[in-house]
Amino acid sequence: MSENQIYRLNCYVENKPGVLARIVGLISGRGYNIQTLNVGPTEDGTVSRMKIDVYGSGRVVEQIMLQLRNQVNVIEVTSRRKQPKGE
Amino acid sequence: MNRNETRTGAQALVDSLTKAGTEVLFGYPGGQALDIFNCLPDAKFLFVLGRHEQGCVHMADGYARSTGKPGVCLVTSGPGATNTVTGLATANIDGVPLIVITGQVPMSLIGTDAFQEADTTGVTRAVSKHNFLVHSADEIPEIVAQAFYIATHGKPGPVVIDIPKNCQQALTSAQYPERVSLRAYHPESAATSAQLSRFARMINEAKRPVIYAGGGVVASGAAKDVAALAHKAGIPVATTLMGLGSFDERDPLSLRMAGMHGTPAANWAMNEADLIIALGVRFSDRVTGKISKYAPHAKIVHVDCDPASIGKNVAVALGIVADVKDVLTTVSSRVKSATHPEWIAKIDGWKKSHPVSWSQMHPGVIMPQAVMEAVDKATEGRAVVVTDVGQHQMWAAQHFRYSIPRHFLTSGGMGTMGFGIPAAIGAAFARPDHKTVAICGDGGAQMTFEEVVCAVEHKLPVTFIIINNGCLGMVRQWQELFYKKNYSGSILTVKGRPNNEHLEQDLDYDYLPDFVKLAEAHGAEAYRVIDPAKLDSTIAKAINSPKTTVVEVIVEPRANVYPMIPAGKPVSEMVFN
Repeated sequence: MSENQIYRLNCYVENKPGVLARIVGLISGRGYNIQTLNVGPTEDGTVSRMKIDVYGSGRVVEQIMLQLRNQVNVIEVTSRRKQPKGE
Repeated sequence: MNRNETRTGAQALVDSLTKAGTEVLFGYPGGQALDIFNCLPDAKFLFVLGRHEQGCVHMADGYARSTGKPGVCLVTSGPGATNTVTGLATANIDGVPLIVITGQVPMSLIGTDAFQEADTTGVTRAVSKHNFLVHSADEIPEIVAQAFYIATHGKPGPVVIDIPKNCQQALTSAQYPERVSLRAYHPESAATSAQLSRFARMINEAKRPVIYAGGGVVASGAAKDVAALAHKAGIPVATTLMGLGSFDERDPLSLRMAGMHGTPAANWAMNEADLIIALGVRFSDRVTGKISKYAPHAKIVHVDCDPASIGKNVAVALGIVADVKDVLTTVSSRVKSATHPEWIAKIDGWKKSHPVSWSQMHPGVIMPQAVMEAVDKATEGRAVVVTDVGQHQMWAAQHFRYSIPRHFLTSGGMGTMGFGIPAAIGAAFARPDHKTVAICGDGGAQMTFEEVVCAVEHKLPVTFIIINNGCLGMVRQWQELFYKKNYSGSILTVKGRPNNEHLEQDLDYDYLPDFVKLAEAHGAEAYRVIDPAKLDSTIAKAINSPKTTVVEVIVEPRANVYPMIPAGKPVSEMVFN
């Protein structure tokens, strides 16, 4: 749990200006580096999906997820440990 | 107003603020806020002109902390907006509801480095609960309604609304919504029946329970419910700094404040407890000390409205995301009446053997703790006490007996020097029914002293007490204890500074400013006390004056705050003197 690994955060957010900056700021402001970031619209044009890979401990990622859920424009967040290739 | 009637975005803002219940607006004008200011003289609410935007936000903060209602503040773009950052951060970490409206350059100029342009939503993002950049006048009523909703629901916090000048000037017929709907933000959460049963069972089974009450108890209005649970189940109550006033400190079950400068009884009780009932707290490092040694024997139940707060710093046996008041109402009805005679006897022993006390260091020199006792006596414990940050803040926490919620206002999380004077002014506007007393140090008082004018202008009977020890006391204390008495940057007098801060030693003063002259220049009634024999009478005179008063008390310069658990250390390393 405490070992650092890559986690994939899946965020569904309102498609509004400033939301991406808010989410990225929340992660980078804690000193965590975003490894991959992918943002795109969903079928519902008012909702965007963000796929964010961060390297950290499970405890920290859990905390980031809870903080993201507190954000006014965030609809849902889930996280999972990313399996290294070949595992 | 006619449904189809149009008015400017600025007028729509003022109308919306009125609809949202604004009674007082604190602010400072500037070019990009002029259209809003143009509408203010006809507004139904009072406008209070501060003297610095930081002061305006702290005033709104003091108003909010003393009432629970959102404080509202209006400033201009650029430097006006950036000057609010410290105030926003202060309110954000302590969960204080604020609405801060900032003017912005017209949309057509955003991004051009226009005069007084700053990326306000960018700058304030990390220090506010949420922020909005308005894109059209039509959005203004809806955004104001949303901002008030966000500021006051879930864990309260500050919300910034940045309004470009063209949106202030454009015409709109948009109306203030009757209901706020936010697609993604639904902070309401309630305890499950299973959680409540388990919580009650844990209380019934505990042999050495402690309630640990924080600012969330105050925010939730749950002080009476805490008292009801404590009395029914015989549980002693410790509070955080932010929780002071949530449980009557004169009650035999009170352990008073826990943490770095908390009472030995509170810290030892938490250390030996088998159950800690944590209500509306966030387990700050200033309370837990060394986290691995914190409350080693206790199961922890943590009730908080903020899901991100639970399990953040300490592992909990039961976490409940819900309103503290709602949870206590149900749990109290399910717990058995109990007393814990052995546990209480042990705690009473600690209270007797290790009270928070102080002793005179030099004859004829006023001890700062004596000032706190004099103020508590003169106000009969009923005043709204507002502090700045530093040693005096901790003495104020230790040497008053708090019994009423929202009567101790302090910058807990951010530790913002300069908070005390303006926050006391905001509280005095909000609570004319109670005397407001600000306790400040000589350092913090110099950061926002300009706001005293505002108290004088409005004839607020606030008493500002400046505990003058000629140094930045808490910094000096840490340097004495942990930096081999290397007093770098912390001495404000001419004498006693390190070599690289050399000042001419033949100056005809030892210390500036002269606070009495400064206060009088601001129009306040001012007193200076040096003689311990005149302390009580001068404090009483100032507090009973109908005018704005400033009392400078020259105190023992080398007094320290004890007891103290050094940062990051366990309870066992508590230092008593």
